[in-house]
Amino acid sequence: MLVTQTILIGILYFISQMDGFFGTSLIGRAIIMGPLTGLIMGDVASGVMIGGTLELAFIGAVSIGAYDPPDVASGTILGTAFAIKAGAGPEVAIAMGLPVSTIMQTVIAIAWGLLPTLFMHRADAFAEKGDAKGVSRNMFVAGFAPIVAVFWIVPAAYYFGSDAVVNLLGNIPEFITTGMDIAAGIIPAIGFAMLAEMIMNKKVAPFFFLGFFLIQYFGIGTTAVAIFAVIIAIVIVQLSSNQPQTKQEEDGFDDF
Amino acid sequence: MTTNSKNTISPESKITKRDFWKVFTRSCTLDSAWNYERQQHLMYCYMMIPVLKRVYGDDKEKMAAALQRHMEFMACTPHIVTLLCGITGAMEEENAKNPNFDATSISAVRTSLMGPMAGVGDSFFWGTLLTIAVGIGVSFAKEGSILGPILFLAIINVPGFAARFYCLKAGFGYGVRFFSDMSATGVIEKITKAVSIVGLMAIGAMVATQVSFSITYKIGVVSGAGEPIQNYIDQIMPAFMPLVLFGVMYWLLGKNIKTTWILVAVIIISCLGVFLGILG
Repeated sequence: MLVTQTILIGILYFISQMDGFFGTSLIGRAIIMGPLTGLIMGDVASGVMIGGTLELAFIGAVSIGAYDPPDVASGTILGTAFAIKAGAGPEVAIAMGLPVSTIMQTVIAIAWGLLPTLFMHRADAFAEKGDAKGVSRNMFVAGFAPIVAVFWIVPAAYYFGSDAVVNLLGNIPEFITTGMDIAAGIIPAIGFAMLAEMIMNKKVAPFFFLGFFLIQYFGIGTTAVAIFAVIIAIVIVQLSSNQPQTKQEEDGFDDF
Repeated sequence: MTTNSKNTISPESKITKRDFWKVFTRSCTLDSAWNYERQQHLMYCYMMIPVLKRVYGDDKEKMAAALQRHMEFMACTPHIVTLLCGITGAMEEENAKNPNFDATSISAVRTSLMGPMAGVGDSFFWGTLLTIAVGIGVSFAKEGSILGPILFLAIINVPGFAARFYCLKAGFGYGVRFFSDMSATGVIEKITKAVSIVGLMAIGAMVATQVSFSITYKIGVVSGAGEPIQNYIDQIMPAFMPLVLFGVMYWLLGKNIKTTWILVAVIIISCLGVFLGILG
């Protein structure tokens, strides 16, 4: 049982790390990894709920440019697996998952700092010779090398840490589990602030409050706010474009 | 290899529809071998190879120059990078055909467009769409519904792959003219503004629904039967605390404090608050 789970967790984590090969489709996010870990542990419903809670805690973890986000997948997989095994709730998964993600972030940053560079310079040499195959080959090796170098840590932690962690989780004082529950309500604010930082400017700042108070005073859901937001955005952009429309001639596509 | 005009992307072009789909598929790897030195450069080059092979054929010298050109620094949003691919691809074809074409203009276009494109792309995909996907996905997932993860993936990926396709098409179609046309009509600013409005409203909605905090500490006239502070706050404005918390976090981030430290502080304060009986 433990061995099968360990192997499946290894495969799941490996796939999550390959997201960059699959069109950055965000398969490694908590909301996806939670249910899949739940499937491995035999409790999909808990996995879905834990995944949802962790997703909020990790919402700011987006890799943009050179910013290293916490490794969401490892934290979610181990947090969910241990929480389900200990029969505990999402707050325990967060208590486990956040430190795991932060530690793995460091390990991953080291692996990605060292390994791709090696193959990158080999790819440069192939490019100089005009050898496209050599470039492609080195790109794939550069992409897989760091994943292979670190992915085994997660299944190993599950295999060797299982008993100890589950025992430990049973003995956590209550003020810590309640505290983590409260922290779980606050942590999403960090992520939302990070997202807002990316798109906020003085001209559009009032719309943040519009979204906030629509929910507060009208009690409509997030989906409804999103629909209204799209309509408002279209109307405002159309109103503000009062300059005469310069129609582009469709005069052949490929001449510059 | 014979290329009749029916199988090419346009009558004037040598690039085939198969090349188009090859580039499309290869564009999915843009975030794979990411590195600190030149970020997505290897994958960008890998993505361009089908086009380069088509337009330069066996000309090793020109091929080498082109490969090196596309091995330069690259950082762009993966879902829309295909626009740049199409533009530089069309330019590479022109370079192969026209001996007077200045090849350094390809590098120039590549370098000057990736920044603005990443600006629009990141704020759309990571600012707006991700917020909406999380908002809708989490509201289902927290109830234990499998629709949560499914909707999450659909909201991100249906627009993501559609954008990939249309951007590549537009890039090849317009070539380098694309961005001059776009900026002339102010399309970029309009898109950015619309995206920011939708994104901020979604973030506002999420702060109201997904951030929770209440102070259970009681204050009263005399010791004993008092009312929790939270009841007074709720009378002034419900969800006042989430708004304040969001404001504090935004301010802290503006001070360039690392998120890890904010996170640790939140956890310590929460646990300490429960321990001292202020929260809980």
